Amino acid sequence: MKLSDKMAYESYADMMFGTAIKPVTTKHGLVIGGGFVIPEIVPHPRPGSEKTLKTLMREFERANFDALERCVLVGHPAIVIENEHISQMTNNPDWGMEITIQTAKQIEEFKIKYGLKAAYRATIADIRRPDRVNLRDSEATAKVLESFEKCAEAADIISIESLGGKEIFDYSIIRNDITGILFSEAILGGRDMEWLWTRIVDIAERKKCIAGGDTDCARSNTAMFMAGGFISKDIPHTLAALTRAIGAARTLVAHECGATGPGKDCGYENPILKAITGMPMSMEGKSSACAHPDLCGNVIAAVCDLWSNEAVAYHNMFGGTTPAVFAEILGYDAAAMNSAVALGFQKEFQACLVNSDRYRGPHGFILSPDNAWHIGKAIVENSRSMYARSKAAAFKCAELLLGDPNLRITGYEKESLLGYLKVLESLPDEENDFIDLCMRKYKNVNGFKPDSYGLQ
Amino acid sequence: MKYSTDTSGIFTRFDMEIEVTRRSIRRISSDFALQAIADCVADGDEEKTEEAVKEALEQKDPLEIIHEGLIPGMNEVSRLWDEGVYFLPQVILSSDAMMAGIKLCEQKLGKPLKKKGKIITHTAEGDIHDIGQSIVNALLNADGFEVINLGTDVPIDVVVEACLAHKPIMLTGTALMTTTMSAFPKIAAKLKSMNFNIPFVCGGGAVNEEFVTGFDLGIWGKEASQAPAMAGDILEGAHWQELRSKWNG
Amino acid sequence: MIQTGIAIDLGTSGFRVQALDLDSGAIIASAISTCHPLPGSNVIDHIHFTLEAGLETANSFVIQALNRLLEGLNIDLSRVVRTAVCGNPIQLSLFISQDIEDLAYAGSKKLESLGKSGVVRDACIIKAGIIKELILPEDSEIIIPPCVHMEVGADALAMIIKTGILERNETAIVTDFGTNAEMALFHNGVIYTGSTAAGPAIEGRHISCGTLAVPGAVSDIEPEGGRFRLTVLDERLLPEKGDLISLPEGETAEKCGSTPVTGITGTGVIALISEALENKLISIPQINSTDGLLKLTENVSFNRNDLMEAGKATGAIRTGHLTLCANAGISPDDIQTACLSGAAGTYLDVRKAQTLGLVPPLVKTVIQAGNTSLAMARDLVLQPEKTDEMSRLAEKLRDTYCMFSSSKIFNRVYLLEFSYWTEGMPLNLYRSFLKKYGLPDFNPGVSSPEIIRTVENQLGETGSTPVAVVDISCREELTPTGCTGCKACEIKCPQKAIHVGENQPPVVSVDLSACNGVSCKNCERVCPEKCFSLNGYFQKFAGQTACL
Ligand code: B12
Ligand code: SF4
Ligand code: SF4
Repeated sequence: MKLSDKMAYESYADMMFGTAIKPVTTKHGLVIGGGFVIPEIVPHPRPGSEKTLKTLMREFERANFDALERCVLVGHPAIVIENEHISQMTNNPDWGMEITIQTAKQIEEFKIKYGLKAAYRATIADIRRPDRVNLRDSEATAKVLESFEKCAEAADIISIESLGGKEIFDYSIIRNDITGILFSEAILGGRDMEWLWTRIVDIAERKKCIAGGDTDCARSNTAMFMAGGFISKDIPHTLAALTRAIGAARTLVAHECGATGPGKDCGYENPILKAITGMPMSMEGKSSACAHPDLCGNVIAAVCDLWSNEAVAYHNMFGGTTPAVFAEILGYDAAAMNSAVALGFQKEFQACLVNSDRYRGPHGFILSPDNAWHIGKAIVENSRSMYARSKAAAFKCAELLLGDPNLRITGYEKESLLGYLKVLESLPDEENDFIDLCMRKYKNVNGFKPDSYGLQ
Repeated sequence: MKYSTDTSGIFTRFDMEIEVTRRSIRRISSDFALQAIADCVADGDEEKTEEAVKEALEQKDPLEIIHEGLIPGMNEVSRLWDEGVYFLPQVILSSDAMMAGIKLCEQKLGKPLKKKGKIITHTAEGDIHDIGQSIVNALLNADGFEVINLGTDVPIDVVVEACLAHKPIMLTGTALMTTTMSAFPKIAAKLKSMNFNIPFVCGGGAVNEEFVTGFDLGIWGKEASQAPAMAGDILEGAHWQELRSKWNG
Repeated sequence: MIQTGIAIDLGTSGFRVQALDLDSGAIIASAISTCHPLPGSNVIDHIHFTLEAGLETANSFVIQALNRLLEGLNIDLSRVVRTAVCGNPIQLSLFISQDIEDLAYAGSKKLESLGKSGVVRDACIIKAGIIKELILPEDSEIIIPPCVHMEVGADALAMIIKTGILERNETAIVTDFGTNAEMALFHNGVIYTGSTAAGPAIEGRHISCGTLAVPGAVSDIEPEGGRFRLTVLDERLLPEKGDLISLPEGETAEKCGSTPVTGITGTGVIALISEALENKLISIPQINSTDGLLKLTENVSFNRNDLMEAGKATGAIRTGHLTLCANAGISPDDIQTACLSGAAGTYLDVRKAQTLGLVPPLVKTVIQAGNTSLAMARDLVLQPEKTDEMSRLAEKLRDTYCMFSSSKIFNRVYLLEFSYWTEGMPLNLYRSFLKKYGLPDFNPGVSSPEIIRTVENQLGETGSTPVAVVDISCREELTPTGCTGCKACEIKCPQKAIHVGENQPPVVSVDLSACNGVSCKNCERVCPEKCFSLNGYFQKFAGQTACL
């Protein structure tokens, strides 16, 4: 695998919502990143519905139908439906397949009946728990790959939120240990993704389906949620921001293995990925408040191609069921952005989105297009190794955070950030030395299996 | 792209505000001398507080010094303690400093300052564990109550007589030994028989909620910091039963 | 004919008895109990019981238990000519039926009003016949050693003498790691003593999953790679290698050992806190895990409240040390030798104790001395003249005894500890307060002292004979008049000491040694018929056997 050494975007000024340098077209002709922002709705089944295949299919049938119908009802021209597998759907690959086939049929019907342009993204559940199973060789691994095979048959896009490195990450984050975070992302996460994504891309190519992308959800989002809002302090926001930058270098691996985008919605690192790859990305911000709060509700939309809601449990609201309601909201958000493009006001509109959150907190700041691009640049300029580029991303992130006086950081956040920098500076230059150090330090962490990652 | 430097209309950085107000005491006065007094109280420096108060007394009214210097300084300390910036030993030092300052002002006034209300505190007969009680005393003082401290190992009759003599709004007892806590129901019964139904807040490691709410007048105090708040409720007219239903159960 | 001597240690959590051959000095037999016969877990509970049930009843409980232990020795008791008893003032008083009301209260006013101030407990030798029910030969003699003060008894003297600190010409401190935490500092020929009443957390009580040393109790935790190895007490109370677990989740990585984990002892708690602090799993008073728990197993976990309780106890010990040092005009850093006695003191891991401030920071030598009380009793049996040595020492100590209760230093420092453990006050703020108060500062480091363990197990020496573990628990049955068999008492008993029978009228039995004592009385409070009387059980137990 060759590590990226060039930026697709020569300047961050060129990055815009709705347009990607390398748009992708689905089996059914929907173009993503081709000039318009498209909503991506993610319904989630209610607890209990997973008891049998029949009840689960019924649940998804309703949820997906409601979203499609609402688009027609209010006139949204296009939509992507994502179903994130619950574990049962991946554990029984046939379940995932049946639901994919059912949804493809629904989409087809809406196309025939109303001309609605829609696509289906199947996101396989990563049931390989790193502390329990060998990531490369276990029943769970086989199930995951089988699910990809079966879903790729009818889905437009396939994706996964892979879990490699999660065991070391969880251990490190509660101990405020940046070394462990770097190890879990750059070395473990990176290696696992390379192994996994080579296989996913191969399947996608064979099945003529789009290999979308991955996300650093299991790690960076955990950190982001632990940092929380303005009144929680489980971990500093600056640590969450560093984790995000490091995580970007990891999620990038999917595209280096051949994934073409659209990247997964909950990858808040996607602006960085878009800057490097030029591929379309799905994003979520204020629209995903149904799933979790964040401090970058608008800014994250600045360069999005799909606009998503992360996941909303299926139930009734006054205005209809949640998939219908959220499809409507997402579609109107997209319509506003598309209007800006139509009027030639897209730069101005983007500036509004960015200014809303650029200085709200570290995350919003580093994900503003300019800063995201700079972090991307640090990544491609250090393509010597996964380790080198991840560490460079962290340093660049810290440099940016400390460099703009308009971004105010609390004393506690700043002190912690300087502490992480000290630790990062003390780390070895070479990847092999770093691996040696970490193998000694973490070899006994509960459930850590070096051979999951091809380490001895 | 344009970046707006004035974000006040866009979002509020509550985290910064919390931290800034957390770090140190807020300005409480534009008057230099009063601010200096408040700062000394916040530092918990008794001697410096006394010096500052003495100096200020040459020009200022003692009541002004108390109400616009000493007490606001102490209020800042209490706030910082609530927010986890200050710790108990600091609060106690500050409370002592404030009390020393008030004493000087009272001398100048020629009469004692009118306090929020009288409270009698004691540690049970046969018990010498008074650390909890001294925390309670300091916090009540800090909140402007007049504390009549009967000390440790106080015989039941002495407690009852003191209540009759001083007519406090509240009585507190602390017991850390299971052999000594039995004095509390006896005190409560005597007060009750004399129709002197004041709230009797009992705390200390030996007693628990069940024990204290097992006799009339008894209210269980879990933490010393509850004492001023309970006394505040009494000033608002709360009866012992109301206090119990609010703080216990 | 061989003459036999008996050495007895009356401890707050159990009794230990040994028979010696008076000619050779050899140990012939040993017997121990795993609990104290009186309801309750600390001396105050024992006193409280005595005040309510009467001295005679309490004495009878103690003597009956002792008799069972003596029988457990399985020797010819008629050959006993001399016995020596060591223990704290309360236990010794209960043994000889001396009034203990003066020990029940701490304040001098209360004591004066009772006419009980200034009670002195000097050494004495009595005839066994004086003690009712005791199964030793009537005219054999019993040596009762002296006390220094109401809180510092013969057991503390034993600790000072038997650890040998007086012979070491250096600044040394001895501490009994028990509920009362008696301590003595030896500096420049002067001995400063005090007692800090650290509380039961040191022995694993008042901790949600805490327990005394019983089979299945975790007694130590050691890091092993990224995980933690438990040490678990086995059926014979010997430490055995336990599971390898992860913290804070408590997932088992490797099964080991045969005894299922049931709780954690005082030393286990110290080890857990110290390891968790080093691994940043605790930021006092918070536990850094998502559920706020440090789990050792699915069911055994440690919470924030436990941390604060343990902190209050360990804090009392550091406060005591600092106060004695301030009195002697030195800093804890000047202490060269530390002796640890008591069960916890013998088993605890010195490095871990040091991280919590239980052992002075810069000591060069640590002596783990075990149960010095029994060793002292053995000495007294073999050399009765040693009683005089103890009396002389007691006299000397009365002058330099530090009443922590009236010590301003103790109060101030304990408040710092309280704030450190329950509010998370940083240690540097703590130390700056010491400076502000003009008290000795200390270095919060950990030294690597030489460790001398003078005993192998709790008893010290056991000779070549095995140790009999004697059950001294006492059950008593009654049928309370009016009892409906509703089982409210059984359900509400925190110690699960009550059993209500199924028949009508129901027989309600109480395990008196498991009972928490008169400070609890949940059973009486919850009985809807108000027919349950704890005292009734006590009286019945004492009375019945008195007739035997
Ligand atoms: C410090 C201490 C001492 C110090 C006391 C110093 C002093 N001046 O107070 C010293 C070392 C002198 C001492 C002595 C004794 N102690 Co002591 N001591 C303790 C210890 C370690 C901590 C108690 C403490 O101060 N806690 C901190 C304070 C702040 O807590 P607190 O008073 O409970 O107050 C909190 C709340 O309860 C509440 N509160 C309290 N009062 C009030 C009132 C109101 C109105 C409100 C709202 C709230 C409130 O607010 C506080 C927190 O915010 C405990 C054990 C433990 N781990 O808890 C034993 C303990 C209390 N002691 C005990 C004993 C037995 C004794 C002795 C009698 C020992 C003996 N064997 O002789 C001697 C007394 C002899 C004598 N003549 O002096 C026992 C009591 C056992 C029992 N079942 O009753 C304990 C529990 C230890 C044990 N052995 O189990 N002790
Ligand atoms: S409920 Fe009764 S029997 Fe049970 S521990 Fe309490 S006092 Fe003892
Ligand atoms: S609570 Fe009272 S009535 Fe009920 S079983 Fe117990 S003794 Fe009997």
